[in-house]
Amino acid sequence: MPEPESELSSREVEHVARLARLGITPEEVTRYRDQLRNILHHIEALNRADTSKVPATAHPLEERNVMREDRREPSLPAEAALRNAPSRDDSYFKVKAIQE
Amino acid sequence: MKLYQRTIRELHQMLIDREISSVELTDAVLNQIDLVGDKTKAYLLVTRELALRQAQAADERLRAKRDVRPLTGIPIALKDVLCVRDVASTAGSKILGGFTPPYSATVVERLEGEGAVFLGKTNCDEFAMGSSNENSGYWPVHNPWSLDRVPGGSSGGSAAAVASGEAIAALGSDTGGSIRQPAALTGIVGMKPTYGRVSRYGLIAFASSLDQIGPMTRDVADGALLLQAIAGNDPRDSTSSSRPVPDYLATLTDGVKGMRLGVPKEYFVAGMEPAVEQSIRDAIRLLEQQGASIEEVSLPHSDVALPAYYIIAPAEASSNLARYDGTRYGFQAGGGRNLIEEYMLTRQQGFGAEVKRRIMLGTYALSSGYYDAYYLQAQKVRTLIIEDFKKAFEKVDALLGATSPTAAFELGAKTQDPVAMYLNDIITIPANLGNVCGISVPCGLVDGLPIGLQVIAPGFGEEVALRVAYAFEAATEFHRARSPLMGAAA
Amino acid sequence: MRALEAVTRYEVVVGLEVHAQILTQSKMFCGCSTDYLTAPPNANTCPVCLGLPGSLPVINRRAVEATIRTALALNCEIPEFSKFDRKNYFYPDLPKGYQISQYDLPFSRNGRLEFDLNGEAKRCGITRVHLEEDTGKLLHEGAIHEAQASLVNFNRAGVPLMEIVSEPDLRSADEAREYVMRLRAILQYIGVNGGDMESGQLRCDANVSLRPAGQTEYGTKVEVKNMNSFRAIHRAIEFEIGRQTEVLDAGGRLAQETRGWNDARGLTVSQRSKEYAEDYRYFPEPDLPPLDVSREWVAQIRAGLPELPAARRERFMTRFGLSPYDASLLTSSKTMAEFFEETVRLGAPAKAAANWILGDFSRLLNADRKEIDEASIKPVHLQQLISLIDSGAITGKMAKQTFDAMYRAPDPGPALEAARGSTQISGDAELDRIVVQVIAENAKSVADFKAGKGQALKFLIGQGMKISKGRANPQRLDALLREKIS
Ligand SMILES: [Mg+2]
Ligand SMILES: [Zn+2]
Repeated sequence: MPEPESELSSREVEHVARLARLGITPEEVTRYRDQLRNILHHIEALNRADTSKVPATAHPLEERNVMREDRREPSLPAEAALRNAPSRDDSYFKVKAIQE
Repeated sequence: MKLYQRTIRELHQMLIDREISSVELTDAVLNQIDLVGDKTKAYLLVTRELALRQAQAADERLRAKRDVRPLTGIPIALKDVLCVRDVASTAGSKILGGFTPPYSATVVERLEGEGAVFLGKTNCDEFAMGSSNENSGYWPVHNPWSLDRVPGGSSGGSAAAVASGEAIAALGSDTGGSIRQPAALTGIVGMKPTYGRVSRYGLIAFASSLDQIGPMTRDVADGALLLQAIAGNDPRDSTSSSRPVPDYLATLTDGVKGMRLGVPKEYFVAGMEPAVEQSIRDAIRLLEQQGASIEEVSLPHSDVALPAYYIIAPAEASSNLARYDGTRYGFQAGGGRNLIEEYMLTRQQGFGAEVKRRIMLGTYALSSGYYDAYYLQAQKVRTLIIEDFKKAFEKVDALLGATSPTAAFELGAKTQDPVAMYLNDIITIPANLGNVCGISVPCGLVDGLPIGLQVIAPGFGEEVALRVAYAFEAATEFHRARSPLMGAAA
Repeated sequence: MRALEAVTRYEVVVGLEVHAQILTQSKMFCGCSTDYLTAPPNANTCPVCLGLPGSLPVINRRAVEATIRTALALNCEIPEFSKFDRKNYFYPDLPKGYQISQYDLPFSRNGRLEFDLNGEAKRCGITRVHLEEDTGKLLHEGAIHEAQASLVNFNRAGVPLMEIVSEPDLRSADEAREYVMRLRAILQYIGVNGGDMESGQLRCDANVSLRPAGQTEYGTKVEVKNMNSFRAIHRAIEFEIGRQTEVLDAGGRLAQETRGWNDARGLTVSQRSKEYAEDYRYFPEPDLPPLDVSREWVAQIRAGLPELPAARRERFMTRFGLSPYDASLLTSSKTMAEFFEETVRLGAPAKAAANWILGDFSRLLNADRKEIDEASIKPVHLQQLISLIDSGAITGKMAKQTFDAMYRAPDPGPALEAARGSTQISGDAELDRIVVQVIAENAKSVADFKAGKGQALKFLIGQGMKISKGRANPQRLDALLREKIS
């Protein structure tokens, strides 16, 4: 795997597209590679900030321990749960075989 | 004056005085949509029947004087990232084509409770990713002030609807400026509340730690009213704050006398149009004349807000958008030989270019070997931005600056250059990362195009931002200007 | 046999990942029912557990407390700060495209599970216990490899799931099986898990590797999945040890891979040739605020912990004089331990109760794959049977037949009564003689009873049963004694 500071390669674009399950044509690989390189080049500015003593903020929230009690609430009627399914079989969602 | 040109408060008075009915009002707005909808393309879906049904119900309430609220009978547009039960909801994306949620967003339920009337779902950049509305998976939106210009984004449809008389008010969502920037570019008021102030339940997520729903209105008081109706804790959104919601109207007219207002020097960015800068300077001077003391402040990490945003938002988006795989709802490509191929085809065809670009960027930033350099570093920068705001708000009550460095640009002007497009949000993004609130209020016209003054207040200080914006508005006439499509105000 | 050979030349290293569904009413992040076994497909789903756009999770407090409870029972440290993370991957049973799990700040770490195997004390480190959500279930149309389509049921999606990760401290298939049995007992004792492996309430994956005896670094590990019984765990690990030994002996290299246990064929099969290494892109779940786990909260959860198997085992040994072996077996299941204690409380001698439970009773239960609390025989029945034997009323051989008959019947009462009745004395003349003898021989107890000590009557009835070799009708005895004494 290349160093983070080296330029994004076409192979990495293909790898990332596959991780994200995005189909991508060879032309798109080149186009996205160039665009992402340009964006990443601007993002390098992040390293201008001295963060050596700074904690990360994942949550801007002041809330903590937000929980619900273990109580049942009505589920959707099965028909409402399934009505948007592009393919279904009876009350199941139907998907293509997984075969890797 | 036409009904569709009026504010919520004016119409509310007319409704309770029985001068007009909600059905009449709704008809007037629907007629305006019929008249100019083809020009603005503000709506993806007009829910005419639903609107008239709700208007009738509102009239019942008004007639019986039963539970009449400030929004009862008022026609409102909803950005298409908000789920409405049994109404197609697409987030501006092909991948959600045909999806009708079996539930409503909390804000939608609250507005229903108020007796508001839903006109339909407004166009937006796909999954709220964009600053011009040109990334809509369906069609671009045109600015009512100049149809060859963008309305801003991503809540461009909501902004255009309010600015063209196709809605009295609207809800938008703001992840990096998506309410404030289009509000500025269409001459209306738009507010991004503090993260946690408004429930996100039922808001189709773009970036979960940044998204916030807010009002888009003709003036500041309407904004306060609409915010009042949607703000507050929601047990279905664990990130919604349990802080009590103040009465925003109670302090709205208190003025700025004695207030300390800061001007961040970093907000006068390179590339800002001189005319925009001049209007902002004039606006600041005006507030000083109103009795505020003005001082220059510094938000030293403003220059790294944009890069931090373009890591954090795409990273969260790459995960939030993983669910669109064509198996449970929405678009399914068909034709894949197995499931993985099917996923890849569905997502290739269902998502537009900008969404795919951000999914890839976010996936890359989170992937093994890059997490620390990008995602973690961005989160640390986020801490610095929060600190910047905290320090500034030790000295001043609110901050002033432009909303957008330029007025509305021409359609197509920036579509070839993602980075140029991203720079539009350079002065709105820090408020999302820094977890403060911001409002954009009209502050002038440049070559016939509106621009906005941005007021930023501390986290959960919405009443401060509203009060400053109101003081500015009360002393100026900018908010009375109407787009050519809406017609001149009386 | 191959496994046995391996022990001499290679050291076996096993670590286990156990997924345990938490017994809650509602799911981990929504109010849907957790009953996924009997509900019609997709009937227990909602926008949250279907991953519909805009839906948001809310944490189930009981699931968090059950996780901390488990961690405390496994002697873990409970950090003061914890959070949820997203584990990103695509699979049709995963509705959001990510699983809400815990990555770097789980609810607990650094625990241990102690057990004994064939009289030898063992200790296995617990790396962590964390909380996550279960996935939906796939049904394949036809055989898995030829299937054209899969059917998806999301009723199980979002059921709270604990992941209990062990250190690679286990050194044989026996140890691994024993560890899981002990762990299961603990989870049942503290009421957090149903313990049924076949239905998937408890699932186990094993990381198995070998290294030359004496070497400190670990060999290439193979992850074995799909073992849904104790027997399967044992067989699968034995098989892997054999397979890996053959590869290593032949000078080959093992592939780091995931293999599935095929119970019917008795072997493991490679499931994934890893073209790409998994990259889960964990990051903090932005939809859930983190948790401060206060010491008061932990203390409160700790105070609610019942006696754990290890402590109960000690108590059974000291209090009842049971052997370590019997005490271990009896405490391996909460229901069995409770059955035993109740039988003894009702008056049965401990040793006899233990023998019956671990002997005939367990044999019959195992054959039927039943738990002790599913049997019609209750402690009161066993106690009465034992008392019939002890009093000499029936022979050991008769008792075995009676027990069998009691076990088979939906109501054990008649079989027990038949055994008793075949010898029972109900005639007042004969009973009178017994009562007279009891009163004559136990003057002190008679006086005590007269003085109002109710306990004394129980003793006198016992004496009467003894004289009659258990054949007296205790109700009649009771009545006659009261009559005669007052
Ligand atoms: Mg797991
Ligand atoms: Zn649910």
